[in-house]
Amino acid sequence: MTLENNFINHSKEYIFLDNETLSNQRDKTFNKIFKKNYDKKNNESLKHISISDLSNFDYFYKPKNEDSKVTIIDKYNYEIRVVNGICKNYEDDNIKIRNLTNLDFKSFLNQDNNNLDDIIIDFNKIFLNSGIFFNIKSNSKLNIRLIHNTSDNFTIFQNNFINFKKKCEVQLEEYFNLTHNSINNINYNTNIEEGALINHNIFQNFSNSNKLYLTSNTVCEKNSSYNQNTYNFSDGFVRNFHNANLNGEFANASLKGCFFLKDKNICTIKTNIIHNAEHCVSDQSYKGILNDHAKANFYSNTFVSDNAQKTEGYQLSKGILLSDNCSFFSKPELRIFADDVKCSHGSTIGPVDESALYYLRSRGINKNEAMKMIISSFIEEDLINLDNNIAEQIIYNLSIYLNSLEND
Amino acid sequence: MIFLNINNLNVSIEGKKILDDFNISINEGEVHAIMGPNGCGKSTLANVLAGNEEYEVSSGKVIFKDQNLLDLNIEERSQKGLFLAFQYPVEIPGVNITPFLHASINSKLKNDKKPELDNLSFAKLLRKNAEELGISSDMLKRSINTGFSGGEKKRYEILQMSILNPDLTIFDETDSGLDVDALRIVTEGINKFKDSKKSFLIITHYQKLLDYIHPDYVHVMRNGKIVKSGDISLASEIEASGYQNF
Ligand SMILES: Nc1ncnc2c1ncn2[C@@H]1O[C@H](COP(=O)(O)OP(=O)(O)OP(=O)(O)O)[C@@H](O)[C@H]1O
Ligand SMILES: [Mg+2]
Repeated sequence: MTLENNFINHSKEYIFLDNETLSNQRDKTFNKIFKKNYDKKNNESLKHISISDLSNFDYFYKPKNEDSKVTIIDKYNYEIRVVNGICKNYEDDNIKIRNLTNLDFKSFLNQDNNNLDDIIIDFNKIFLNSGIFFNIKSNSKLNIRLIHNTSDNFTIFQNNFINFKKKCEVQLEEYFNLTHNSINNINYNTNIEEGALINHNIFQNFSNSNKLYLTSNTVCEKNSSYNQNTYNFSDGFVRNFHNANLNGEFANASLKGCFFLKDKNICTIKTNIIHNAEHCVSDQSYKGILNDHAKANFYSNTFVSDNAQKTEGYQLSKGILLSDNCSFFSKPELRIFADDVKCSHGSTIGPVDESALYYLRSRGINKNEAMKMIISSFIEEDLINLDNNIAEQIIYNLSIYLNSLEND
Repeated sequence: MIFLNINNLNVSIEGKKILDDFNISINEGEVHAIMGPNGCGKSTLANVLAGNEEYEVSSGKVIFKDQNLLDLNIEERSQKGLFLAFQYPVEIPGVNITPFLHASINSKLKNDKKPELDNLSFAKLLRKNAEELGISSDMLKRSINTGFSGGEKKRYEILQMSILNPDLTIFDETDSGLDVDALRIVTEGINKFKDSKKSFLIITHYQKLLDYIHPDYVHVMRNGKIVKSGDISLASEIEASGYQNF
């Protein structure tokens, strides 16, 4: 189906159809894409993504919310199942979660916009068909598993709002368990209030018939901490675009991730951290293993405004290339307008270190095992700081990936 | 059995000839020392024997334990009982010493069709050998050579040798960087092995090590070949007046 047909035929599913301002905005965005009125050349959101692929798809959205669920395992542990973009409306002393309705137009209008050139966000605005409001209340200490499921060939265009209220402490584990031929274009607006401490682990693991475009904009207030880790074990396309604004002093944000790619899979990543306050720390680092014809790119950006003294900002990209035909392109950027800052970026991308391989083999370890040892160590060096259950999932998926190498 | 026989070995790297009709024969239980000026090709010889694929062997033959060594890949040579203690051991961050050495000894045992060591018996063996070499148990928790001092790296090479128990050990300047205690421990280790059927090829710049070990033969190497062979008195000659007479 063409963009135009989808636009005309599926306008009824647009969430804010009743709102004139947003409907007009939607028309404008559609026209921008339709008339190709955007930067085509230097558009980071179009790296490895063709506009015709984005525009031609079979729109399908007929959710029933009977399978979505909120399970309270105990006072500290929640499991929330979102099915085809729909959640179960629920509230207690710790959390409140509900589906977005057209009455939420104000939040939508006022959302932070770091993504002016982002074509994926334009598509999200044109076809928006679902959204979730999620509040985690002040002082709550929780472990939350948030699971996204799809059934049939759903096309989900979702805009979510998460508010972590003051001083809550949350371990959020998010799973994208996608099936069929689903397209998932999901945009998060996250607010981390004063003193809130959030660890957010995102597992992306699905077959190559699915696509996930994940975007997030996170605002960190004073003394808050946001640690995001994306783990991409998918055979399907994943894009991870994540932004964080450090708006209050002594806040920190880290946007990290790792990915294992093979065949012709593609992964496209962009992180962006804006320091607007003093004494904040940020970290952007991605690590990948690539084989066959896989491709990855990683744009990282640190912006330090003139009032953000005592900033620390780090960027790092690391990659192991297992074939001559794979590639990992990384482009770090720093824009600094304050004078008292510590910022750095580094990048090491290349094949497995031959001298290390030689050393291990010279002790009788066969080439394949030696390769595995080196690749595992590359991933495992980061695991010591993680919860066991997270580390185990990474090790498990790494072993699946390593075994697939052997069968080539 | 032919233990080690190198016959007219020619080796180059990046088009540059390094070993030039190199010959040597080592029997079971013998200790040979090679001395020679910087750049004459000592490490090249050691690495070619260990199977390093960067070097190009243009002609020549190497027999090790009746087998054509050049037919074997790196790990097969090790499994067959050849061990090279590197001049510059590489750091491998993230690969922990203990499981690495465990995998290493088991690959050898498997090749010898002997039962592999379980975790406990390996841990015991490792602890005992490490203690003898003055290696702390803290060090055994670290990544291979990562952040080790020069001397620690050398000690760790010897620890690996003591675990793998090879038939032929090549020491490439293992004595450089060792303190006196470590040097004593190494030489004791070698001497302990010497009366058995183990053989050694010791590359060194210093007479001191040889004084402790009493090698059966000392060879002088220049420009990629052995130019003189003799006994330990050659080492004193070199110590006194350098390589100009060779
Ligand atoms: N990878 C390489 N690329 C180019 N030249 C090399 C390489 N490795 C060794 N060489 C050259 O080969 C020659 C022999 O080097 P080798 O390391 O074998 O010397 P050596 O006798 O061990 O010296 P030293 O006593 O300093 O350890 C030197 O001239 C060296 O520069
Ligand atoms: Mg050398």
